[in-house]
Amino acid sequence: MKSAYWLSTALLGVMLGTAAMVSTSRAAEPLKIGLLEDVSGDLALMGMPKLHGSELAVEEINKSGGILGRQIELIHLDPQGDNARYQEFARRLLSRDKVDVLIGGITSASREAIRPIIDRTTTPYFYTNQYEGGVCDASMISMGAIPEQQFSTLIPWMVEKFGKKVYVIAADYNFGQISAEWNRKIMKDLGGEVVGEEFIPLGISQFAQTIQNIQKAKPDWLLTINVGAAQDSFFEQAAAANLNLPMGSSIKVMLGFEHKRFKPPALNNMHATANWFEEIDTPEANDFKKRWHAKFPDETYINDMGYNAYNALYMYKALVEKAKSTKLEDLRKVIATGQACIDAPEGQVCIDPKSQHTSHRMRLISVGPQHQVTVEKDYGTIQPYWLGEIGCDLTKKNDKDQYTPSHLPNKS
Amino acid sequence: MSAELFSLFYQFADVFAFLILSAAGLAIVFGMMGVINMAHGEFIMCGAYVTVGLVRIGLPLAVAQGLAAVTAGLVGVVVEFLIVRRFYKRPLDSLLATWGLSLIVTQSMLLIVGSSITGIGTPEGSFAIGPYTFSTYRLVLFACAVAVLVGLYIVFMKTRFGVLARATMQNAEMARALGARTGRIYAISFGIGAGLAGLCGALYAPTMTLIPTMGATFVVESFVTVVVGGANVLLGTAPAAVFLAMIRMALNASYGQIIGQIGMLFAVILIIRVLPEGLSSVLVRRGR
Amino acid sequence: MLKLLDGAQTLGKGWTFWSCFLIVLAAALIYPAFADSYDVGNFSYFLIWIFMALGLCLMWGYGGMLSFGQTFFFGISGYGYGVLAINMGGGSTTIAALALAVVMAMIAAGILGYFMIWGGINGIFFGIVTLSATLVLAFFLGQTAGPEWHIGPARLNGFNGMKGMDPLAVGDTYIEGSALYYVMVALIVVVYIGLRMLLNSRIGNVIVAVRENPQRAEMLGYDVRKYQLLTFVIGSALAGLSGALYTSWGQFITPSSIGLPAAAMPIVWVAFSGRSDLTATLVGSFLLLFAFQTITVYSQQMALILMGGLLLATVMLAPQGFVLGIGKLVVDRWTGHRRGDTNAVMADTARLQSDET
Repeated sequence: MKSAYWLSTALLGVMLGTAAMVSTSRAAEPLKIGLLEDVSGDLALMGMPKLHGSELAVEEINKSGGILGRQIELIHLDPQGDNARYQEFARRLLSRDKVDVLIGGITSASREAIRPIIDRTTTPYFYTNQYEGGVCDASMISMGAIPEQQFSTLIPWMVEKFGKKVYVIAADYNFGQISAEWNRKIMKDLGGEVVGEEFIPLGISQFAQTIQNIQKAKPDWLLTINVGAAQDSFFEQAAAANLNLPMGSSIKVMLGFEHKRFKPPALNNMHATANWFEEIDTPEANDFKKRWHAKFPDETYINDMGYNAYNALYMYKALVEKAKSTKLEDLRKVIATGQACIDAPEGQVCIDPKSQHTSHRMRLISVGPQHQVTVEKDYGTIQPYWLGEIGCDLTKKNDKDQYTPSHLPNKS
Repeated sequence: MSAELFSLFYQFADVFAFLILSAAGLAIVFGMMGVINMAHGEFIMCGAYVTVGLVRIGLPLAVAQGLAAVTAGLVGVVVEFLIVRRFYKRPLDSLLATWGLSLIVTQSMLLIVGSSITGIGTPEGSFAIGPYTFSTYRLVLFACAVAVLVGLYIVFMKTRFGVLARATMQNAEMARALGARTGRIYAISFGIGAGLAGLCGALYAPTMTLIPTMGATFVVESFVTVVVGGANVLLGTAPAAVFLAMIRMALNASYGQIIGQIGMLFAVILIIRVLPEGLSSVLVRRGR
Repeated sequence: MLKLLDGAQTLGKGWTFWSCFLIVLAAALIYPAFADSYDVGNFSYFLIWIFMALGLCLMWGYGGMLSFGQTFFFGISGYGYGVLAINMGGGSTTIAALALAVVMAMIAAGILGYFMIWGGINGIFFGIVTLSATLVLAFFLGQTAGPEWHIGPARLNGFNGMKGMDPLAVGDTYIEGSALYYVMVALIVVVYIGLRMLLNSRIGNVIVAVRENPQRAEMLGYDVRKYQLLTFVIGSALAGLSGALYTSWGQFITPSSIGLPAAAMPIVWVAFSGRSDLTATLVGSFLLLFAFQTITVYSQQMALILMGGLLLATVMLAPQGFVLGIGKLVVDRWTGHRRGDTNAVMADTARLQSDET
């Protein structure tokens, strides 16, 4: 009889123990973050800092207790710059690994490859690059700077400082063409003149003809929105030909760190507006840089993409903790209140409810003859207002479309 | 007026130099030896990286460039010995082998050296004619391209090695029967081809972004130039480069780079359609 | 008709081969019952690319024409499907869109093929012309970002890619998941059997004869050009089929699917598998696609190195291609016990090796 008692007690104990273990493992089951960044091939230059940014944020968040008490697990796949791989891996992360959130993508094409897939799920997606803007999609949250934040600050400043005639060198694809469109629109409002526009196919590395076209057109300054390693050769070749014109850009310096990769003075007199560049000198930024370099001592430059990737995880953490849920609809309820903000190294950034793009503190920087970077002007926080103005309101309607100044929503 | 004329010449020289320098190595490896060398761009990258490395440790640029070309050549000899040697009898498989090699090399460079290295800046300064300023170094490139052409002609047409090499490429068995050491000739020829690719990388290193995949920008142009040149590589490559450079320059100047690029490829299609054996077939016929 | 299933041009014959074939097919058919939905979807995705590989195998392995243009027709048909599916509306019309897209690829192949083959272009020149055409299309599509580039409501949308088309559907149901998988398996079987019968027919023998020696074939009274054009059109149509299916699968296509390095991929698959045989290409391409994906998932930055090493090792160690190399090894072992069959096998391998030109 006694043995039966002991046996039943023991059994009970085991059952209780197992139940406790199950429930604790439930609570501790990690949040899964799916990350797609190119760390091989042509885009590795930009993909590495992005991966590092995510890794740093994950490590920090886990050390400080995770999100809602759950640790986070980063599942990174490397699509090697191939859009088809982006499609495969987005599906894999969503249906095999069942990630709670998807982050990543470098080129706009890779983002567009992911969107049709993510749109059919209820998983949130963070795009962490600065880009040509205009995506109005409820599943996507954009962390980077967009044209109204970069061009509506940069171009007026360039016109005021250097003159009204601009020559545009742009990569011949969506980003370049849409950026050029923005420039035309803003220059028109300012009464300036676009004396030349040249669109360069991706992968072109020789610019002798372009340099002469510029000299023929005699602009006051250049807008350089050329993209990719091959096209960056322009700066070296222009410097060798003594072109010597002021340049403005939305992607140079803070993104491609050309001032670290080319020998001075190739990037001399380059101006850009950025929400982040490594030379930002504030206590928060310095602290962030110190942590980054402690973890990744070999990093050439912490670019804005890597920085935004870092922020994306903290933004996700803030959203989840406010919503007390990982569901997209609950996160979007938080966004709809307009209170989805974090204190980032650049200052406070918030998600705009209408467009789900992020406000940024923009600064205008200049590169000197020795490639030293100086801050010329601090614009304070600039909202991503354009999508809201043209009629994208994700709190009411999910357009799932990408708009440009020449492709606006149908008025209905 | 003279400024415009000079500018035309300069633009032509620039495209011509780019085509010749990127194609010269391939002309030997692919044109003469029949090896479809997908790793051509990686030999170019090798030349560029070695140049930058040597300049960093204090060598003068020209010396560094020369050594880089030699290094690429030696690497070429090793690659020939280890891999390419097996594919002379089945050239199509060389495509797969060299493509595999190129994947390995670019990714290893990425892992070892990092995603990019700092440039070294273009030497020689600039000069002005009329409203235009020009980079002197681009003319140096043109001179080098011409020198490469002349050098190739002399080596393969006027030296004993050249005669043996051409004989070997035409009929290896017969050449061997007549006493040529064909294995060595193949190795040296491949080495020269790789060295010329390295030279291309070395010469363009100061003017370009240096990343492990930088060779890719040269590859299409070089294959196209060699193929349009046709079977007789020594006679064909130069006129092919002249021809394509003129078309590209004219289109670049009037319609922009995208039309220049598309137009050049269209020209390639048309030339091959009209002359299925390449440009050299006409020249050789005339020559006889 | 059924006699054409076996013949001199394709490896594998008799009951051993066909019972293996049926076992593999049966395994493929019951696979979705055991695997999770992700794997089923992933497998049907691999099968999408196989058509392009089979088409190239036909052109290159059997017809002797090395085409760098598979992605050219892939692109025409892929974009064609997108434009048609958007313009004709979704639902069952997507099936018509698929068929028309493949027809578009065939027309394009007819024009380009006529232009090249009647111009006497062959050998490596054939490769360069098809490559040039492919790059022209990729460059052209890459700069169509502006809203002025549209066909009906379908925007080409440049480098960012065309999207917004419906996937293949019957009525209101999308063909997805297991349904898509079965459609793909059925298509593969039809195409494979069809190609086998074509190759073992009189036409197939002429195609191979042209590869071996065009002059001799011509002397025997065949119009070589017509057979080459036929091969080119069929091979390109298969690339087109892949393209339309790919667009439907991801509801998305970009110029990167056309230009380099995408254009080199079919050649890599076919060369890896063993270009001289259909079955080898079918099996090898599938294995390679699977291997590349698995390597990429699990080895991060080492992936490209491993992939390169795999290719390099294959060509060095198995000159006839991975599948044929392994196959030969197995057959050698097998026939070690049964010497009688060796001669037939030797004859087969001799045939396979004879096309090195």
